[in-house]
Amino acid sequence: MFKQITDLSGNEWYLIASLWIFLVFFIAVGIMLFRMPKEDVNYMKGLPVDEAEKPNDDLTN
Amino acid sequence: MQLTKFNYDNKIVRNFGIATIVWGIVGMSVGLLIAIQLVWPFMNFELQYTTFGRVRPLHTNAVIFAFVGNAIFMGVYYSLQRLLKARMYSDFLSRVHFWGWQLIILAAAITLPLGLTTSHEYAELEWPIDIGLTIIWVVFGINMFGTIIKRRERHMYVAIWFYIATFVTVAVLHIVNSVQLPVSMWKSYYLYAGVQDALVQWWYGHNAVAFFLTTPYLGMMYYFLPKMANRPIYSYKLSILHFWSLIFIYIWAGPHHLLYTSLPGWVQSLGVAFSVMLIAPSWGGMINGLLTLRGAWDKVRTDPTLKFMVVALTAYGMATFEGPMLSLKQVNAIAHFTDWIVAHVHVGALGWNGFMTFAILYWLIPRIYKTELYSKKLASAHFWIGTLGILFYAIPMYWAAVVQGLMWKEFTPEGVLKYPNFLATTLQIIPMHLLRAIGGTLYLSGVILMTYNLVKTMRQGRLLANEPAEAPELVPVVVNERAPHRRLERKPILFMALALITILIGGMVQMMPTFMISSNVPTIASVQPYTALELQGRDLYIREGCVNCHTQTVRPFRSETVRYGDYSKAGEFVYDHPFLWGSKRTGPDLHRIGKKYPHKWHFDHMLDPTITSPGSIMPPYPWLIEQRLDTAATKAKLNAMRLLGVPYTDADINAANADLREQAEGIATDLSQQGVDVRADREIIALIAYLQRLGTDINVPVGTATNE
Repeated sequence: MFKQITDLSGNEWYLIASLWIFLVFFIAVGIMLFRMPKEDVNYMKGLPVDEAEKPNDDLTN
Repeated sequence: MQLTKFNYDNKIVRNFGIATIVWGIVGMSVGLLIAIQLVWPFMNFELQYTTFGRVRPLHTNAVIFAFVGNAIFMGVYYSLQRLLKARMYSDFLSRVHFWGWQLIILAAAITLPLGLTTSHEYAELEWPIDIGLTIIWVVFGINMFGTIIKRRERHMYVAIWFYIATFVTVAVLHIVNSVQLPVSMWKSYYLYAGVQDALVQWWYGHNAVAFFLTTPYLGMMYYFLPKMANRPIYSYKLSILHFWSLIFIYIWAGPHHLLYTSLPGWVQSLGVAFSVMLIAPSWGGMINGLLTLRGAWDKVRTDPTLKFMVVALTAYGMATFEGPMLSLKQVNAIAHFTDWIVAHVHVGALGWNGFMTFAILYWLIPRIYKTELYSKKLASAHFWIGTLGILFYAIPMYWAAVVQGLMWKEFTPEGVLKYPNFLATTLQIIPMHLLRAIGGTLYLSGVILMTYNLVKTMRQGRLLANEPAEAPELVPVVVNERAPHRRLERKPILFMALALITILIGGMVQMMPTFMISSNVPTIASVQPYTALELQGRDLYIREGCVNCHTQTVRPFRSETVRYGDYSKAGEFVYDHPFLWGSKRTGPDLHRIGKKYPHKWHFDHMLDPTITSPGSIMPPYPWLIEQRLDTAATKAKLNAMRLLGVPYTDADINAANADLREQAEGIATDLSQQGVDVRADREIIALIAYLQRLGTDINVPVGTATNE
């Protein structure tokens, strides 16, 4: 079944490089997620539900 | 902290909402019309302007860009203002955006039935409308980013990321796929040819589904579902992973529309691999949506908006599972070109886009009119009629696909095709097409019921055009945020740039080698440019939308080479601006039709297909026999082709119309000898010339190829 993605007559590196690009990208996003503080996550989650009551935080752009 | 008072612009939301409903009814009615034509071809009323090939693009454009497009803007304009605690950047730009978009739709509704089309699926509009679309899209972008810049909420919620990705990706897709050389006001040729054009088109086509039908709706899901269920999204972290993975992977999957064609094998394999991977982020989004309803399932029983949302998410899950499965070559070999593809896109369009649009309309209209929904019972009735409509649509189409796909491939024990006549396989599935039309009727009935319900709701309330709101202004106090994504969420331009880079990677890896390494598209010495008459005939083939029902690419299967002839090679399409491979076989493939039948067969077939093929559901094309071929632009067309790299000589171009007439006289004389009296300057002659040329070049020994 997987011959269709392994039998590439010398062009395997396109596929391998592409998968590596994705893997690196995916891991980078995953690391960012683990480092996110819980209170920030909860604040963002609540934005649509209680949009009228939310005060702005005091961070700079 | 001092609060600033401001107003949300509800009028623009209402306007887009009304446009959604109106164009929805129009687009679905046209869809129903063409569904009926596939059972009773005479339902084109024997008019060229209402014939399947011309009207099918009208249906797809109307539902994608008019119905779904207006729904996106309705949802974005409502949620963006509230998530950013700011009125839209400019009321003027909002109005320009609204009226400009409706004008583009109107232009499409006029030009497509006239046969003014580029033939690129879901991008059929000719170059002046393309430019208009670009301008209006930029207006939308300025208005959106202007609002983001003047926001009162520091961080951008996940819905806004999806809106940003939608804006930037659709812009890239539209520009790259619309690079055309104008020949006249309403005629152009694509810069790319053959295999390269196919790759660009399906990179666009697949990602139009991704970034017009999917990402803005995911953004709306992340805003409206929590509002409807009155609870936050299940996992914000999952939404981040979902967002970045989805936009990264989606862009690579386009080549799965071109499996077993002459596209280089490595590009096809990349398409397959990334299509399979796409299940993960797609289902991540669906699961995030469904789990948001944890603890709120009791509401689903009573709240019609949540019912619509649950089916929308389920349809999304089904379609995004089915897509990768169809990308597996073994499945694709049977299902591609059949009604399976039609069922697949309609599960997505009717279920995911349609039902979520209805949910948002039912939720939003009463709120901006400060009233209650006129009738919850009618909304529930709409839900059940619509659901039944989807089932009646999809199930017969799956059935038809399996039946026809297997019939195409069946051989007798003696080793010959069991159904050598393509028409036999078409006639077998007519009952399923009839059931599909009933499904469409049910679905449309539900929409009409919704329209009545919402009109009554609007009448009993009053539009709050400017809804008062208040929020503190952002204050520039420095606090460093350690989490990188947290920082990114408050930097819209950087966010857009990263999203752009993310979506560019896949496209570049696939396209650059295909365009720049010549071995990817091996040329064939015997393949010659079309003659002037054949080129004119090709443009008629494009005008009549033949590509909507007939493919021009024979796949390397025994069942296809026995039925049609030798499989198609990349080098055969190098002068095809645009490629005309098609995506559906309502009728047989035509790539090897050239010289298979005499001219008279083609004449009779176009006059009335039932003369040559009794029972055929192809409509007749009598106007091709009546209308004179317009040769005023012949030289300009050959000139444009030469600019695009087709090796026409000065002599070819200068003698274009003389050569055209000579070849046309030859065909007319042959027809006359067969008892057909038709003048050489009629359109049918050019079309016959083109059809007789198709796929014949590689049968000519190298060095003796001729344009005669």
